[in-house]
Amino acid sequence: MSQALREFLMKKARLEKVFKWGVRWSLWPVHLVTSCCGVEVAHTSAPGFDAERWGVLPFHTMRQSNVIIVEGTITRKMARVLRQVYEQMPEPKYVLAMGACAVRGGLFWNSYHVVQVDTVVPVDVYISGCPPTPEAVIRAFIMLHNKIKGKPGPYVEPVKVDLAPYLPPPPKPPAKPAPQPQQQQQQQAQAAA
Amino acid sequence: MSARAPPKCPPPGDHALLPRVKEALGPSLLSRGVTPEGHLCVVVPPDKIREVAQAVKNMGFDHVLSLSAVDYIAEKKFLLVYVFASYLSPELKNQLLHVRAEIPRDSPRIASIADIYPSADYEERECHEMFGIWFEGNPHMGKRFLLDPDCCIDEKTGKPLYPLRKDFKVPDWGLMG
Repeated sequence: MSQALREFLMKKARLEKVFKWGVRWSLWPVHLVTSCCGVEVAHTSAPGFDAERWGVLPFHTMRQSNVIIVEGTITRKMARVLRQVYEQMPEPKYVLAMGACAVRGGLFWNSYHVVQVDTVVPVDVYISGCPPTPEAVIRAFIMLHNKIKGKPGPYVEPVKVDLAPYLPPPPKPPAKPAPQPQQQQQQQAQAAA
Repeated sequence: MSARAPPKCPPPGDHALLPRVKEALGPSLLSRGVTPEGHLCVVVPPDKIREVAQAVKNMGFDHVLSLSAVDYIAEKKFLLVYVFASYLSPELKNQLLHVRAEIPRDSPRIASIADIYPSADYEERECHEMFGIWFEGNPHMGKRFLLDPDCCIDEKTGKPLYPLRKDFKVPDWGLMG
Protein backbone atom coordinates (compact mmCIF):
# COMPACT_ATOMS: atom_id res chain seq x y z
CA MET A 1 0.00 0.00 0.00
CA SER A 2 2.59 2.46 1.06
CA GLN A 3 4.73 1.75 -1.99
CA ALA A 4 1.75 2.18 -4.30
CA LEU A 5 0.77 5.36 -2.52
CA ARG A 6 4.30 6.64 -2.78
CA GLU A 7 4.42 5.89 -6.50
CA PHE A 8 1.06 7.57 -7.00
CA LEU A 9 2.12 10.64 -5.10
CA MET A 10 5.48 10.96 -6.79
CA LYS A 11 4.46 10.12 -10.34
CA LYS A 12 0.77 10.85 -10.81
CA ALA A 13 0.26 13.67 -8.39
CA ARG A 14 3.61 15.23 -9.40
CA LEU A 15 4.69 15.42 -5.80
CA GLU A 16 8.30 15.14 -6.94
CA LYS A 17 8.12 18.69 -8.22
CA VAL A 18 6.86 19.87 -4.85
CA PHE A 19 9.63 17.92 -3.14
CA LYS A 20 12.32 19.48 -5.32
CA TRP A 21 10.77 22.89 -4.84
CA GLY A 22 10.96 22.42 -1.10
CA VAL A 23 14.57 21.33 -1.19
CA ARG A 24 15.47 24.14 -3.54
CA TRP A 25 14.22 26.90 -1.31
CA SER A 26 15.52 25.54 1.95
CA LEU A 27 19.23 25.02 1.45
CA TRP A 28 20.59 25.28 4.94
CA PRO A 29 24.36 25.31 4.87
CA VAL A 30 26.60 24.18 7.68
CA HIS A 31 29.81 26.15 7.95
CA LEU A 32 33.14 24.37 7.93
CA VAL A 33 35.24 27.50 8.37
CA THR A 34 38.91 26.62 8.23
CA SER A 35 40.18 29.81 6.57
CA CYS A 36 39.36 33.37 5.63
CA CYS A 37 36.49 32.40 3.29
CA GLY A 38 34.23 32.26 6.35
CA VAL A 39 34.23 36.05 6.42
CA GLU A 40 32.72 36.16 2.95
CA VAL A 41 30.03 33.66 3.91
CA ALA A 42 29.19 35.91 6.84
CA HIS A 43 28.76 38.76 4.32
CA THR A 44 26.56 36.52 2.20
CA SER A 45 24.14 35.98 5.05
CA ALA A 46 24.33 39.56 6.33
CA PRO A 47 21.62 42.09 5.39
CA GLY A 48 23.71 43.59 2.57
CA PHE A 49 23.48 40.54 0.32
CA ASP A 50 20.89 38.58 2.30
CA ALA A 51 21.22 35.10 0.87
CA GLU A 52 18.06 34.12 2.72
CA ARG A 53 16.18 35.53 -0.27
CA TRP A 54 17.24 32.27 -1.96
CA GLY A 55 16.46 30.17 1.08
CA VAL A 56 20.01 30.00 2.38
CA LEU A 57 19.73 30.03 6.14
CA PRO A 58 23.01 29.53 8.01
CA PHE A 59 22.61 26.77 10.53
CA HIS A 60 24.74 25.49 13.30
CA THR A 61 24.21 21.74 13.43
CA MET A 62 25.06 19.38 10.63
CA ARG A 63 22.27 16.97 11.53
CA GLN A 64 19.62 19.53 10.58
CA SER A 65 21.19 20.99 7.46
CA ASN A 66 21.63 19.73 3.93
CA VAL A 67 24.45 21.79 2.40
CA ILE A 68 28.05 21.91 3.54
CA ILE A 69 30.22 24.82 2.45
CA VAL A 70 33.89 23.86 2.66
CA GLU A 71 35.39 27.26 3.34
CA GLY A 72 39.12 27.03 3.11
CA THR A 73 42.10 24.76 3.35
CA ILE A 74 41.47 21.16 4.34
CA THR A 75 44.42 19.47 5.98
CA ARG A 76 44.70 15.74 6.46
CA LYS A 77 43.48 16.01 10.04
CA MET A 78 40.54 18.20 9.03
CA ALA A 79 39.64 15.81 6.20
CA ARG A 80 38.55 13.26 8.80
CA VAL A 81 36.27 15.87 10.36
CA LEU A 82 34.91 16.85 6.96
CA ARG A 83 34.04 13.26 6.12
CA GLN A 84 32.44 12.78 9.53
CA VAL A 85 30.33 15.93 9.15
CA TYR A 86 29.31 14.85 5.66
CA GLU A 87 28.23 11.41 6.87
CA GLN A 88 26.12 12.94 9.65
CA MET A 89 24.04 15.11 7.33
CA PRO A 90 20.63 13.76 6.20
CA GLU A 91 19.82 13.15 2.55
CA PRO A 92 19.63 14.98 0.20
CA LYS A 93 22.95 16.68 0.78
CA TYR A 94 25.17 18.88 -1.31
CA VAL A 95 28.77 20.06 -1.04
CA LEU A 96 30.13 23.43 -2.10
CA ALA A 97 33.90 23.82 -2.35
CA MET A 98 34.61 27.49 -1.77
CA GLY A 99 37.85 29.24 -2.58
CA ALA A 100 41.08 28.28 -4.27
CA CYS A 101 42.32 26.21 -1.32
CA ALA A 102 39.21 24.03 -1.25
CA VAL A 103 39.04 23.66 -5.04
CA ARG A 104 42.59 22.48 -5.74
CA GLY A 105 44.85 23.33 -2.82
CA GLY A 106 45.40 26.95 -3.79
CA LEU A 107 48.30 28.56 -2.01
CA PHE A 108 49.26 25.27 -0.37
CA TRP A 109 50.05 23.52 -3.63
CA ASN A 110 52.32 20.48 -3.39
CA SER A 111 51.95 20.44 0.36
CA TYR A 112 52.69 17.52 2.65
CA HIS A 113 49.60 18.08 4.77
CA VAL A 114 46.86 19.55 2.54
CA VAL A 115 44.30 17.46 0.63
CA GLN A 116 42.04 18.32 -2.27
CA VAL A 117 38.41 18.34 -1.16
CA ASP A 118 37.02 16.29 -4.05
CA THR A 119 39.15 13.34 -2.95
CA VAL A 120 37.27 13.31 0.38
CA VAL A 121 33.64 14.15 -0.43
CA PRO A 122 31.76 14.49 -3.74
CA VAL A 123 31.66 18.19 -4.63
CA ASP A 124 28.61 19.60 -6.41
CA VAL A 125 29.66 23.19 -7.06
CA TYR A 126 33.10 24.77 -7.12
CA ILE A 127 33.43 28.47 -6.29
CA SER A 128 36.63 30.00 -7.59
CA GLY A 129 38.32 33.01 -6.06
CA CYS A 130 40.65 33.82 -3.21
CA PRO A 131 38.43 34.54 -1.37
CA PRO A 132 35.26 34.47 -3.51
CA THR A 133 32.94 37.43 -3.24
CA PRO A 134 29.45 37.03 -1.72
CA GLU A 135 28.02 37.37 -5.23
CA ALA A 136 30.00 34.29 -6.25
CA VAL A 137 28.58 32.34 -3.30
CA ILE A 138 25.04 33.38 -4.22
CA ARG A 139 25.74 32.40 -7.83
CA ALA A 140 26.88 29.00 -6.62
CA PHE A 141 23.62 28.57 -4.73
CA ILE A 142 21.66 29.49 -7.87
CA MET A 143 23.73 26.89 -9.75
CA LEU A 144 22.75 24.43 -7.06
CA HIS A 145 19.10 25.41 -7.59
CA ASN A 146 19.46 24.61 -11.27
CA LYS A 147 21.11 21.31 -10.47
CA ILE A 148 18.24 20.28 -8.19
CA LYS A 149 15.77 21.30 -10.89
CA GLY A 150 17.59 18.98 -13.27
CA LYS A 151 18.81 21.75 -15.53
CA PRO A 152 22.45 22.25 -14.53
CA GLY A 153 23.66 25.77 -14.87
CA PRO A 154 27.03 26.97 -16.05
CA TYR A 155 29.60 25.05 -14.06
CA VAL A 156 32.79 26.63 -12.86
CA GLU A 157 35.11 23.66 -12.83
CA PRO A 158 38.87 23.72 -13.15
CA VAL A 159 39.75 22.74 -16.70
CA LYS A 160 43.11 21.92 -18.21
CA VAL A 161 44.57 24.85 -20.08
CA ASP A 162 47.49 24.76 -22.47
CA LEU A 163 49.66 27.62 -21.28
CA ALA A 164 52.18 27.32 -24.10
CA PRO A 165 50.81 30.25 -26.22
CA TYR A 166 50.91 32.57 -23.22
CA LEU A 167 54.30 31.69 -21.80
CA PRO A 168 57.48 33.23 -23.22
CA PRO A 169 59.08 30.98 -25.86
CA PRO A 170 62.12 28.95 -24.85
CA PRO A 171 65.46 30.66 -25.53
CA LYS A 172 66.74 30.03 -29.05
CA PRO A 173 70.24 28.66 -29.65
CA PRO A 174 72.72 31.38 -30.61
CA ALA A 175 72.65 32.11 -34.36
CA LYS A 176 75.65 31.35 -36.52
CA PRO A 177 77.99 34.32 -36.90
CA ALA A 178 77.38 36.23 -40.12
CA PRO A 179 80.20 36.12 -42.70
CA GLN A 180 82.58 38.93 -41.95
CA PRO A 181 83.05 41.74 -44.49
CA GLN A 182 86.78 40.99 -44.87
CA GLN A 183 86.06 37.44 -45.99
CA GLN A 184 83.48 38.81 -48.45
CA GLN A 185 86.06 41.22 -49.87
CA GLN A 186 88.58 38.38 -50.20
CA GLN A 187 85.99 36.21 -51.92
CA GLN A 188 85.14 39.10 -54.29
CA ALA A 189 88.83 39.63 -54.99
CA GLN A 190 89.30 35.95 -55.70
CA ALA A 191 86.27 35.98 -57.99
CA ALA A 192 87.61 39.06 -59.83
CA ALA A 193 91.03 37.46 -60.20
CA MET B 1 78.48 24.05 -2.31
CA SER B 2 78.91 27.33 -4.11
CA ALA B 3 76.48 29.52 -2.17
CA ARG B 4 77.88 30.67 1.15
CA ALA B 5 75.73 29.85 4.15
CA PRO B 6 74.33 32.86 6.01
CA PRO B 7 76.07 33.80 9.27
CA LYS B 8 74.79 32.15 12.44
CA CYS B 9 74.49 35.49 14.23
CA PRO B 10 73.93 39.03 12.87
CA PRO B 11 76.81 41.54 13.03
CA PRO B 12 77.70 42.74 16.52
CA GLY B 13 76.64 46.13 17.79
CA ASP B 14 75.79 48.11 20.88
CA HIS B 15 72.69 47.15 22.79
CA ALA B 16 71.22 48.30 26.09
CA LEU B 17 70.72 44.74 27.30
CA LEU B 18 74.28 43.63 26.55
CA PRO B 19 75.92 44.29 29.96
CA ARG B 20 73.18 42.47 31.80
CA VAL B 21 73.26 39.50 29.41
CA LYS B 22 77.05 39.31 29.64
CA GLU B 23 76.85 39.30 33.42
CA ALA B 24 74.08 36.67 33.46
CA LEU B 25 75.54 34.24 30.92
CA GLY B 26 79.23 34.63 31.74
CA PRO B 27 81.47 32.18 29.89
CA SER B 28 78.60 30.45 28.04
CA LEU B 29 78.22 33.46 25.72
CA LEU B 30 80.11 32.46 22.58
CA SER B 31 79.29 35.35 20.27
CA ARG B 32 76.70 38.09 20.03
CA GLY B 33 75.03 40.40 17.54
CA VAL B 34 72.16 42.80 16.98
CA THR B 35 69.45 41.94 14.45
CA PRO B 36 68.21 44.60 12.00
CA GLU B 37 65.10 44.92 14.16
CA GLY B 38 67.25 45.87 17.15
CA HIS B 39 67.03 42.61 19.12
CA LEU B 40 70.02 41.21 20.93
CA CYS B 41 71.17 37.81 19.64
CA VAL B 42 73.61 35.53 21.45
CA VAL B 43 75.11 32.16 20.53
CA VAL B 44 75.55 29.65 23.36
CA PRO B 45 76.92 26.08 23.51
CA PRO B 46 74.11 23.49 23.20
CA ASP B 47 75.12 21.50 26.29
CA LYS B 48 74.59 24.56 28.51
CA ILE B 49 71.11 25.48 27.27
CA ARG B 50 69.50 24.69 30.63
CA GLU B 51 71.89 26.94 32.57
CA VAL B 52 71.36 29.66 29.98
CA ALA B 53 67.57 29.31 30.23
CA GLN B 54 67.74 29.53 34.02
CA ALA B 55 69.97 32.61 33.84
CA VAL B 56 67.65 34.26 31.31
CA LYS B 57 64.69 33.49 33.53
CA ASN B 58 66.45 35.11 36.50
CA MET B 59 67.00 38.21 34.36
CA GLY B 60 63.23 38.69 34.07
CA PHE B 61 62.29 37.07 30.74
CA ASP B 62 59.21 35.08 31.67
CA HIS B 63 58.18 33.24 28.52
CA VAL B 64 59.50 31.69 25.32
CA LEU B 65 58.00 33.52 22.39
CA SER B 66 59.27 31.18 19.72
CA LEU B 67 61.47 28.14 19.30
CA SER B 68 62.42 26.99 15.86
CA ALA B 69 65.27 25.46 13.95
CA VAL B 70 67.18 26.25 10.77
CA ASP B 71 68.40 23.35 8.67
CA TYR B 72 71.95 23.97 7.41
CA ILE B 73 72.09 20.83 5.31
CA ALA B 74 75.46 21.56 3.67
CA GLU B 75 77.18 22.06 7.02
CA LYS B 76 75.23 19.15 8.59
CA LYS B 77 73.97 21.28 11.44
CA PHE B 78 70.75 22.50 12.95
CA LEU B 79 70.64 26.01 14.34
CA LEU B 80 68.10 26.24 17.17
CA VAL B 81 66.64 29.70 17.74
CA TYR B 82 65.01 30.45 21.08
CA VAL B 83 63.30 33.83 21.41
CA PHE B 84 62.64 35.02 24.95
CA ALA B 85 60.30 37.86 25.88
CA SER B 86 58.75 39.34 28.97
CA TYR B 87 55.23 40.35 29.94
CA LEU B 88 55.79 41.42 33.53
CA SER B 89 59.11 43.18 33.71
CA PRO B 90 58.64 46.87 32.72
CA GLU B 91 62.23 47.48 31.62
CA LEU B 92 62.22 44.36 29.38
CA LYS B 93 58.83 45.12 27.89
CA ASN B 94 60.06 46.03 24.40
CA GLN B 95 63.01 43.66 24.31
CA LEU B 96 63.42 40.31 22.65
CA LEU B 97 66.40 38.07 23.32
CA HIS B 98 67.43 35.59 20.64
CA VAL B 99 69.45 32.64 21.91
CA ARG B 100 70.95 30.36 19.27
CA ALA B 101 72.65 27.00 19.60
CA GLU B 102 74.12 24.69 16.99
CA ILE B 103 73.63 20.93 17.16
CA PRO B 104 74.85 18.25 14.75
CA ARG B 105 72.39 17.13 12.12
CA ASP B 106 72.97 13.37 12.33
CA SER B 107 72.22 13.13 16.07
CA PRO B 108 70.01 16.13 16.89
CA ARG B 109 69.57 16.00 20.66
CA ILE B 110 69.37 18.85 23.13
CA ALA B 111 68.12 19.21 26.69
CA SER B 112 64.51 20.29 27.14
CA ILE B 113 63.74 23.57 28.90
CA ALA B 114 60.04 22.80 29.25
CA ASP B 115 60.28 22.49 33.04
CA ILE B 116 61.97 25.90 33.33
CA TYR B 117 59.71 27.59 30.77
CA PRO B 118 56.30 25.83 30.47
CA SER B 119 55.57 27.87 27.35
CA ALA B 120 58.41 26.06 25.55
CA ASP B 121 56.58 22.72 25.77
CA TYR B 122 54.40 23.10 22.67
CA GLU B 123 57.24 24.72 20.76
CA GLU B 124 59.51 21.78 21.51
CA ARG B 125 56.88 19.26 20.49
CA GLU B 126 56.30 21.08 17.19
CA CYS B 127 60.02 21.40 16.56
CA HIS B 128 60.46 17.69 17.25
CA GLU B 129 57.72 16.85 14.79
CA MET B 130 58.90 19.13 12.01
CA PHE B 131 62.68 18.71 12.31
CA GLY B 132 63.18 15.49 14.25
CA ILE B 133 65.11 17.14 17.06
CA TRP B 134 64.91 15.15 20.28
CA PHE B 135 64.45 17.32 23.37
CA GLU B 136 65.69 15.18 26.24
CA GLY B 137 63.44 15.46 29.25
CA ASN B 138 60.25 16.41 27.44
CA PRO B 139 57.78 13.54 28.02
CA HIS B 140 56.01 14.01 24.68
CA MET B 141 58.91 13.15 22.41
CA GLY B 142 58.17 10.51 19.80
CA LYS B 143 54.44 11.29 19.61
CA ARG B 144 52.49 13.05 16.91
CA PHE B 145 51.30 16.52 17.90
CA LEU B 146 50.17 18.58 14.89
CA LEU B 147 50.59 16.19 11.97
CA ASP B 148 48.11 13.54 10.94
CA PRO B 149 49.03 10.07 12.24
CA ASP B 150 49.11 8.64 8.69
CA CYS B 151 51.05 11.46 7.12
CA CYS B 152 54.79 11.85 6.49
CA ILE B 153 55.76 8.24 7.15
CA ASP B 154 58.36 6.40 5.09
CA GLU B 155 56.54 3.58 3.31
CA LYS B 156 59.49 1.21 3.30
CA THR B 157 60.81 1.54 6.82
CA GLY B 158 57.73 2.86 8.65
CA LYS B 159 59.76 5.60 10.29
CA PRO B 160 58.46 9.15 10.48
CA LEU B 161 59.73 11.76 8.03
CA TYR B 162 60.26 15.34 9.06
CA PRO B 163 58.60 17.74 6.62
CA LEU B 164 60.54 20.92 7.34
CA ARG B 165 63.94 19.36 6.75
CA LYS B 166 65.62 20.40 3.55
CA ASP B 167 65.89 16.81 2.26
CA PHE B 168 62.15 16.11 2.62
CA LYS B 169 60.51 15.51 -0.75
CA VAL B 170 57.13 17.27 -1.02
CA PRO B 171 54.47 15.45 -3.08
CA ASP B 172 54.31 16.62 -6.69
CA TRP B 173 50.73 17.33 -7.78
CA GLY B 174 51.79 18.43 -11.25
CA LEU B 175 50.96 21.73 -12.88
CA MET B 176 47.16 21.38 -13.01
CA GLY B 177 46.47 18.67 -10.45
